[in-house]
Amino acid sequence: MVALARKTLIYEWRRFLPAMLAVGFAGLLQLLQLALVLGIFGSTSVYITGSSADVWVGYPGTQNVGSGRTIDPDVESRILMDPAVQRVEPYIWVDGDWRGPHETGGISVFVSGIDPSPEGLMFSKALLPSLRARLAEPDAVVVDRSVLDQLGVNIGETATINGHQVTVVGISSGLRALGGVNVLTSLSTARELDGDPTDIGPTYLVAKLRDPKQADAVAARLRGDTAFGPYTTWSAKDFARISVRYWMFDTGAGAGVLFLAGIVFLVGAVITSQTLIAAVNGSMREYATLNALGVGVGALRRVVLEQAFWVGALGLLGAGVLGVVLMLLAHSQDVPVVLNVPAALACIALVMGLAAVSGLAAMRSLRRADPATLLR
Amino acid sequence: MTHPAAASQATTPPALQAIGISKAFVSGKLRTQVLENFSLRIEAGELTLISGPSGCGKSTLLAILSGLQKVDSGRVLALGSELGQLDLRALERFRLQHTGFVFQGFNLFPALSAFEQVELPLNHMGLSRDEARARARRSLEEVGMAPRMKLRPSELSGGEKQRVAIARALAKEPELLFADEPTSALDAANGQMIIDILHRIAHAHGTTVLCVSHDPRVVVHADRVLAMEDGRILSDRRTHAPTNDSKGT
Repeated sequence: MVALARKTLIYEWRRFLPAMLAVGFAGLLQLLQLALVLGIFGSTSVYITGSSADVWVGYPGTQNVGSGRTIDPDVESRILMDPAVQRVEPYIWVDGDWRGPHETGGISVFVSGIDPSPEGLMFSKALLPSLRARLAEPDAVVVDRSVLDQLGVNIGETATINGHQVTVVGISSGLRALGGVNVLTSLSTARELDGDPTDIGPTYLVAKLRDPKQADAVAARLRGDTAFGPYTTWSAKDFARISVRYWMFDTGAGAGVLFLAGIVFLVGAVITSQTLIAAVNGSMREYATLNALGVGVGALRRVVLEQAFWVGALGLLGAGVLGVVLMLLAHSQDVPVVLNVPAALACIALVMGLAAVSGLAAMRSLRRADPATLLR
Repeated sequence: MTHPAAASQATTPPALQAIGISKAFVSGKLRTQVLENFSLRIEAGELTLISGPSGCGKSTLLAILSGLQKVDSGRVLALGSELGQLDLRALERFRLQHTGFVFQGFNLFPALSAFEQVELPLNHMGLSRDEARARARRSLEEVGMAPRMKLRPSELSGGEKQRVAIARALAKEPELLFADEPTSALDAANGQMIIDILHRIAHAHGTTVLCVSHDPRVVVHADRVLAMEDGRILSDRRTHAPTNDSKGT
């Protein structure tokens, strides 16, 4: 079989270049936007993804980690009764007002009260063991490197949270928060910082299972028991997803992503289809001749669709290479970009869908390849 | 002396036959009747030339007889099939199996070599790859283009391009070959060569060649010349005895 589509694409590459660029940049734009949004909003679930808990227990209806309410401390024994549970520990979230040693004004901070013991689950992936051990000292806090300037402190200095004096004993990394600053401390210090005397229980209980694969089943099993007051359970994966989704849609960022996807698709498809239509028109007489010789319109359409496919594939390749380079550049500049497999697949689907729609549009112009017009 | 030949011709069915066909074109409010109650027989194995001034309806006639255009009324028989009763798919299939075309513009794909131009339609005929390639090579050899079959159209002269276009039509081994002004874009020597090839195809392969041209050089080589004007045949003459010629060579 003579590979008409590919040979034409290679021989007349200049003709197809605008379409490839349009497809490539459409893909790149969408990819980077998605990676940025995922990177920024992914940080809202760092409490979950940075910890090794498999099941989270919290107040029913909690929409993201930062908006939890206290639950009855006795729930802990209920959770521990389940044979699949290996370890349970409380996690206390306190919204605080930070006043540093220098003039910074009031800064709202998210205080995370965690178990500082070496086997503690919270932030086990984000906190070095030595740093964690230092939290056992009374009134010790750890802050993230990215917010040192914002908080106006450095290691060894003191500040106040909700009027209570704390000392910065260490600096973590990768614990950026959205809309505030994360401050890590021990459970006992967190209780001291909490100004509300009615808060007696933890905000969350986090549990480690003997078999992490059972997280969904155990979470479902522990749910719905009201003997200890209201609480509900999530597997860590579900809770992280709920949290990210809350931010995506509460802030309108999700709608923004979809809106841009629509625009990118439209602009890309217009440019690509126009280029393909011009390419088809350029070979119209040849196509008509083939049709006169009895080559069916269906076969000619396949040629156009194949060209659209290759335009999409080559554009995608270019976008992929450029995307990796830009992502590496972003990482080196501490820009939060994250790309996961579903997001990458979504971008590929968008680009190939765009190429397919353009191919179909170009295919329509083949109707003018009427061999009778060749006879004048 | 033409009696026995004429008698035998009357009994063999014609390759192409138009029976009382009419065709009009409508452009806006203007309606142009190109052919009206027009009848014609084209015999098999001959080079038939239709000549006449532009606008006389000869290209329309070619389009109708080759199944590229439908008639308003009347019947067209090609190799015994009534073209008016075939749908678009069936017409494509008929053209694929039985007809070849040579156009004034050579209409070659810029990206393909001469060999690939010829092989391409054969791929769609259900031939094996080897058979398609063997046919393409034979066909290019027949028009004297074998040495240049690796070249793309941009590297070929006009005459060479038209020879590739003829090879493309010829490789299908069609019973019917339609040519529309095949020489008008070529110089004298190349035009002559194309005419020789078309003539040879008719006589060596028994192909019915129907050529539309106003090139006087073609007239000399045609077995039969039809002069057309205003949608009518003005004259119908044979340049030499067709049966003797086709049997003799």
